This record gives sequence, structure tokens and C-alpha cells, in this order.
Amino acid sequence: MSNILEAKDLNVEYLTRDGNIKAVDGVSFSLGFHETLGLVGESGCGKSTIGLSLLKILPINAKVSGNIFYKDKDMVKMPDNEIRSLRGKEISMIFQDPMTSLDPIMRIKNQFFETIRAHFPKMEESEMVKISSNVLKSIGIDPSRLENYPFEFSGGMRQRVMIALAIVLNPSLLVADEPTTSLDVVVQLQIMEVLKELKDQKDMSMVLITHDLGLVAEIVDKVGIMYAGNLVEFGDVDSIYDDPLHPYTQLLLVSIPNVKLEDMKLKYIKGNLPSLKSPPQGCKFHPRCPFAMDICLKADPPTFAVKGRKVKCWLYKGEKDGSRKTDTASIG
Amino acid sequence: MKTYILTRVILSIPMIFILLTIVFVVLRILPGNPVTAMLGPKAPPEVVKSMEAQLGLDKPIIIQFGDYIANILRGNFGDSTVTTLPVIQELEERFPATLELTIFAMIIAVTIGIFFGSTAAYRYGRPVDAIARIYSIFVYSMPVFWLGIMLQLIFGVWLKALPVSGRASPFMTPDNMYTGLYTIDAILNGQWNVLYDSLLHLVLPSVTLGVVISSVFVRMVRSNVLLSLSSQYVISARSRGIKESKVLYAHALKNAMIPILTIMGLQFALLLGGAVLTETTFSWPGIGSYLVERIRYRDFPAIQGAVVFFALFVVVVSILIDIINAWMDPRVRY
Repeated sequence: MSNILEAKDLNVEYLTRDGNIKAVDGVSFSLGFHETLGLVGESGCGKSTIGLSLLKILPINAKVSGNIFYKDKDMVKMPDNEIRSLRGKEISMIFQDPMTSLDPIMRIKNQFFETIRAHFPKMEESEMVKISSNVLKSIGIDPSRLENYPFEFSGGMRQRVMIALAIVLNPSLLVADEPTTSLDVVVQLQIMEVLKELKDQKDMSMVLITHDLGLVAEIVDKVGIMYAGNLVEFGDVDSIYDDPLHPYTQLLLVSIPNVKLEDMKLKYIKGNLPSLKSPPQGCKFHPRCPFAMDICLKADPPTFAVKGRKVKCWLYKGEKDGSRKTDTASIG
Repeated sequence: MKTYILTRVILSIPMIFILLTIVFVVLRILPGNPVTAMLGPKAPPEVVKSMEAQLGLDKPIIIQFGDYIANILRGNFGDSTVTTLPVIQELEERFPATLELTIFAMIIAVTIGIFFGSTAAYRYGRPVDAIARIYSIFVYSMPVFWLGIMLQLIFGVWLKALPVSGRASPFMTPDNMYTGLYTIDAILNGQWNVLYDSLLHLVLPSVTLGVVISSVFVRMVRSNVLLSLSSQYVISARSRGIKESKVLYAHALKNAMIPILTIMGLQFALLLGGAVLTETTFSWPGIGSYLVERIRYRDFPAIQGAVVFFALFVVVVSILIDIINAWMDPRVRY
């Protein structure tokens, strides 16, 4: 068992009345123990769907195929009861919106207690108070606030409470779905700091879902770039930042604003995400890709292994060393 | 909280005054008065005159209004023109019947509403959900008296299993009255056969009324639970391994109940004013059938008294709802 998490050819489809939406399309990745993976992409690229499928809490109209191995056990085939006993205890999740993620009419205390009781039904209340207070303290919240209701906290504090709730039972894997998106910049950094501490001190593996490449660069080990349900590039964070292979990754990196540059014009990727109901033929990125070739219009590229990374792009067909260089400067 | 309740009570005073005025005026605009209603159109004029004088109906209307308001302020609702008994005493006799029927009907309606509604929401789009939707439309469009008559026919006439009218069989009333609710008084007296008899009498009217009201409750609970089931705190509770039954009842339903509670409470208050059709169908001696009976006789004091009584209950119940609301939802502070 070398990996805590391994997804193999994961597909998630949402069945709706007017057509099926393929939110995740043949995604494979792996995450080692104590590693942190950043899943990066635009809104609607399927990254949150992957997050939800790691805990199997997708909406009922979602159809999942493929495998997700958690500690070598396939979660896709696991019975509901077994999955439930993993949630919160082995795998936890924190969500984008801390304002709505806590039950508004339940004291924080009771939300902790019910989480603990779901896995340890016989635990004494005094023991639960101790555990909850410790985890709150470790995350920078006064334990006396256990008595409070969610509305008595600010946004950043609530996200801290959410994190505390997620890690109260010391899970091995934490899935964070855009944990800082709805917070202001100062609080964003504080929360990232909390996550970083968790990673370093508790040896937790993490999946960090975000659209902000810059924010996660410091704390992730591996990065997966998502586009329209596909994982287009997957590899070590440093090599991806230094030498992006997929044209989409290159464009994403170019579009990070840099205030130091004199040319203050914001760069962005032209066009929009394609409709997931009727995606374009061939490579889904070809309508926005500056390097689109004939083959890109006809066939969906397979994933090529280049420089120890995985890239889903025809540019790297038959190239083991990735010697082919695309000129990043010309595409901004 | 105290100031809030006090404000509510003070604000309800003008409301009740306006209501009193409207009832007074409407009753006197309507054709017919107690005298003609009782003596018939062919009564000799001198008899009519003396009776009008006796009831105070010969005075100018503004004086009548003044007397009426002054009496009510003293807690005097006047005497019935039909029975000459004090209206307040008659209401006291009739009200427990209505209260008992209302309580049982509400228990039935709330139970059906919560369980059926939340199950339908949880199984959205499945057969249970379809049945719940058909049930609520079907029951909602069903006249209450029709349902009552059908149940009387089936369980009373054909199966001869349940009594079809009244609150109790002859000689089956509790010996000592404490609350006026037969079931409670029977328990307090330890008269178990009386309790059984009164429960039997309650079955058909309370099921009829309860089922009809439940249709709205089922729909309301269903749509509100559906809404809260899709909310983020439900997903996040699931992500922490909380059991599905707890997710549904402790999180989704509890949050959904906050707005529903207000409507349930108002429905309760509305029923306390007498479920006219149900009470009439089952000859239930409550406020509803009292009102219908007395309107026929143009019994002004009785009608006015019943309406004021009703208004007071709506005020009290709606304040109670607000208190319960504040207790359930910590965000509400008055």
C-alpha cells in the first residue's frame, strides 16, 4: 500500500431531464501518504465533483463508474454503511461556503458531539468536550465558544470551526473544496496557514480543490490541472510551475496577475468552458487552444507520460522527453 | 422578549376593537333581527315592541354600540337572546368540545404532515413522493363534509364500528368536570370506560378534520424539507458520517419546521374558532356548531361573544408561536 488514494478512470455523470452531463471524464490520479494534491481548474470543470465523489456524497442523480481506492479498498463498490463509517473519521471534507455549511440552529458543541457520536456512540460527554476543546484550541478558537451558535461567528472563524469539525477525529485524508474562496484576502492567508500546519504537524494527506494556482503553490506536493471534466496535466508542483506542458496549464500560469510587471493589462484565456452536455469533438480544449492541430479536432488525446508527468495533449505524442517546446511568451 | 410580548398584547387591543365594531355593524346591516327570527314575521306589533325593548334593540344604534363595548370591557358578553343564559357561560360549555376535537385533529394532521412530507422529500421523485403529492391534492380538493359523510357511512352505518355523532354515549360523561375535555377528565376520574367511549366518539370527526388539514401540511413539509435537504449544512453533515436518519430529522426537518410551525399554529388557532362544517356533520357540540345555530336566530350577543372569543385565541396563539419560534431558532431575538 503505497498510496492513500488512487483514482482509476473515474467517470461521474449527472443524469438530468434534458441530457446527461459528464462532469468527470476518465480521470486517474494517485496520492501518497502525507502528500497534498491540488486540483486546479475553472468553475464547472468537475473538480468539486471529484471532491464529493471521494466521500461518495454526490447528489442522487450522479452516476459514478471507475475506481477510487482508499487505502486499497474500492470506495465505488463499497456498501453505504461502510462508506459512512469512513466519513469524518478517515476522510473529511471542508467546503467552500462556511456561512452555510454549519447547521444554523444547532450549537457548535452539539455539531461536534454528533460527529463524534456517529463514530463512537458510547463516548462520555466529558471526553467529547475534551476532544472538541483541544481541536478548537489547536486551530485558534477559544473552547468556550463551543456553546455558541454558528451565526455568532465571523466567516473566517466559521471556516476554522468547519476545519476543526473535519479534523476532530484525526482523519487520514482531508478534502478541502475551495476552502478560502468566499473569504477575504487576509483571512484567506490565515486559513491557508492553518491547513499548512495541519499538513506539517498531523501528517494528514490532503486534496485541495481550488481555482487559484498561486494560493496553493506553497502547500501542495502534486498538482492536477482540470479542464471540462478531464485531468489534462498531473505531476509535481515544481515541475508544473516551472515547465508547464499542457497549453491550458501554460495559459493558466500566464494569466496569474503580476503587479510588478509594467504591463498591467490582465491576461486571460479567451473563450469559455465548453458545454458538458455536448462537448466538442476531439480534444475538449481545442476551440481555445492556440496550438490546435488537425488531429485535435478529430480525436480525444490519450494521456502521455512525459518527464514523469502525465499530459493529455496531442503535442506530446511519441515524445518521451518532452523536448518539444511551446512558446509561452507568444500566447499571452 | 418581555417588551415584545407586551407590545404584541397592546397592539392587539385596537385590532380586537376594530373586529368588535365590524361584527356589530355587519350583524345590524344583515336583514332580520333576533325578534323577527324568534317570533316569526306574523307576530303582533306590540309583542315585537315589548321584546325589542326588553333586548335593548329600541335604543339608538350608537347607544347600543356604547353599551356593548362597555359591557365587554367589564367582561360581560351579555345574555343569549335565545336561551337568556349568559353568553360567556355557553361558550365555556361549548369550547372544551372544540378544543378536544382541535387537539386530536391537529395531532393527526401534524403526524401525517411531518412523516409523509419528510419521507416524500427524502425519497424525491420516487413512488412515495408521487403518492404524497397525489394524496395532498386529492385530500385538499375534497370537501370536509363529504369525507365526513363517507366515513360515517363506512364505519358507522356499514361496519357499525364507530359512533357517528356527539361527544359521548348517554350516561357516559365524566362524573367530575375539571377541564371539560372528556378524555382528560375521564383519566382524572379514573373512569376508563368513559375514556374509551369518548375516544371512540372522537375518532371519526378528528380523522376527518385531521386528514383534510394534513394535505396542506404534507405539501408544506415536503417542499421545505426538500429545500433544506439540498442545503450545504446537510451535505456537510453527511460528510462527517452522520446517519441518514439523523441528517433528515435532526438537521433537515428541524430547520424546515421553523416556517411551518407558524402556519401550523395559525391553523390551530383557526380551528379553535370552530370547525363549522366538521362540527355540523358530526353534531359535535362545539363553538362552530354553536355559531351556526345562533346565526339562524340572529342571536347578536352570542355571535359577538363567539367572535371576540375567537379573536382572543388567535392573538394568544400567535404570540405563543413567536415564543416557540424564538426558542427553536436562536437567530430570532425580539
